[in-house]
Amino acid sequence: MGSRISVFATIVIAVLFVGLSGCGYNDLQGLDEDTKAAWSEVVNQYQRRTDLIPNLVATVKGYAAHEKETLEGVVQARAQATGIQVTPETLKDPAAFEQFQKAQAGLTSALGRLIAIAENYPNLKADQNFRDLQSQLEGTENRIAVARKRYIEKVAEYNKGVRYFPTNLTAKFLLHLEEKPNFTVADEKAVAKPPEVKF
Amino acid sequence: MRGRDRKQTVSFILACVLSLASAVTSLSFALDVPPLTGRVVDLAHVLPADVAASLANDLEAHETKTSNQVAVLILPSLEGEPLESFSHRVGTTWKLGQKGTENGVLLLVALRERKVRIEVGYGLEGTLTDLRSAHIIRQEIVPRFRSGDLPGGIAAGVHAILGTIEGTYKAEEVLSGHARSDQEPTAFQYVIIGIVVGTLAGIVLSHGLQRTRALLGSLLAFLVAQFASVGLGLLAAGVTAFLLWLILQANRGRGGGWGEGFMIGPGGGFGGSFGGGGGFSGGGGDFGGGGASGDW
Repeated sequence: MGSRISVFATIVIAVLFVGLSGCGYNDLQGLDEDTKAAWSEVVNQYQRRTDLIPNLVATVKGYAAHEKETLEGVVQARAQATGIQVTPETLKDPAAFEQFQKAQAGLTSALGRLIAIAENYPNLKADQNFRDLQSQLEGTENRIAVARKRYIEKVAEYNKGVRYFPTNLTAKFLLHLEEKPNFTVADEKAVAKPPEVKF
Repeated sequence: MRGRDRKQTVSFILACVLSLASAVTSLSFALDVPPLTGRVVDLAHVLPADVAASLANDLEAHETKTSNQVAVLILPSLEGEPLESFSHRVGTTWKLGQKGTENGVLLLVALRERKVRIEVGYGLEGTLTDLRSAHIIRQEIVPRFRSGDLPGGIAAGVHAILGTIEGTYKAEEVLSGHARSDQEPTAFQYVIIGIVVGTLAGIVLSHGLQRTRALLGSLLAFLVAQFASVGLGLLAAGVTAFLLWLILQANRGRGGGWGEGFMIGPGGGFGGSFGGGGGFSGGGGDFGGGGASGDW
């Protein structure tokens, strides 16, 4: 009788061990770090784009100074985007995330207009400096698209961990992790398509 | 009533299965990444055989010297796929470049769209910058393409790429770094070691195999295997506990004796990631969207 109970106890412990492997403590911690890293890459690439803008604006000004509205639009959108402090904490605050996303989308469309007016200025289009800046801008937009795609994938994976049973228990009671905000699809489409440029 | 319930349940399950199936199919893209058959994959048949062979030779020699993996893909058409996302998909699927240094480059030419792109791996973004890639496309490739000399443009592009990234990495350093990292035990190894050590310790510790002391074995298995992950540690502990319990039962049944007779199947799974024998395969490199595109 006694041996039966201990055999039973052994099985219960074994099952508990295996069952607990689903609690995902380490997995969640790892995913949390992964999303932070992916987020840093996104911010990094947006920063890279921000750094390109002063030169680009200056070059366009040289050929199309009277396109004031478009030029000022870019400068303003850039100021708005750089005015937002971004930290890993931004991920915990959906409102701040939304604000960041909006500001960057605004900059994307302002830049799109700036590149579009170049079509009307053959001299600007042929300018070596402008072409170089344009290549760099295209490259950066493409990197942003890749970084965003990877962030989206990582956050999806992380959010699954936070919501699915039983890892949601670990997330909620042990690690106090919450879902992280993700880029919206409509916005993703706008950014994923790099500005069309003809040489 | 019951029959209707059952019908509903069945249709619900069917709907689940169907939605699963559609989720799987929606993952496929308009244009599949072609298989990596060599360093020069010419699906549009624009390169004369001798040019293709000499390019492949140059690329191979370059990799031997620098560990950089450069590949060329020539497509008849992108079939509506955007150039940038397709090219990134090819680079990451082929895994060009070595793991760790991410030093791969892909030169992609799409004939019908008249588009060309240089996709640069993370580790070469510093030397083969977006700007440098754009210059190679603009100055080396596009003028030749425009005059109808596709093979010449591709060869000139490849050589400009190789010349640019020549001094970035040295093969010996990168590949010896590889050998070291390969010797780190894998998660699988931790689990196996944990189970073996735990079970043996359990047998030794508990002489006649009393359960409580046998459980020490599982604890040990956990401690070893948790280096891989806590989950795997618990798995190893569970397996060990089960094995010890089996032995216990067997001993009890036969009055002892087969404690040492059981076997733990040795795992395979230590294989490297390199394709064997002459073929070309990616070294595990990653791409972050660097590079440039152009058209002609």
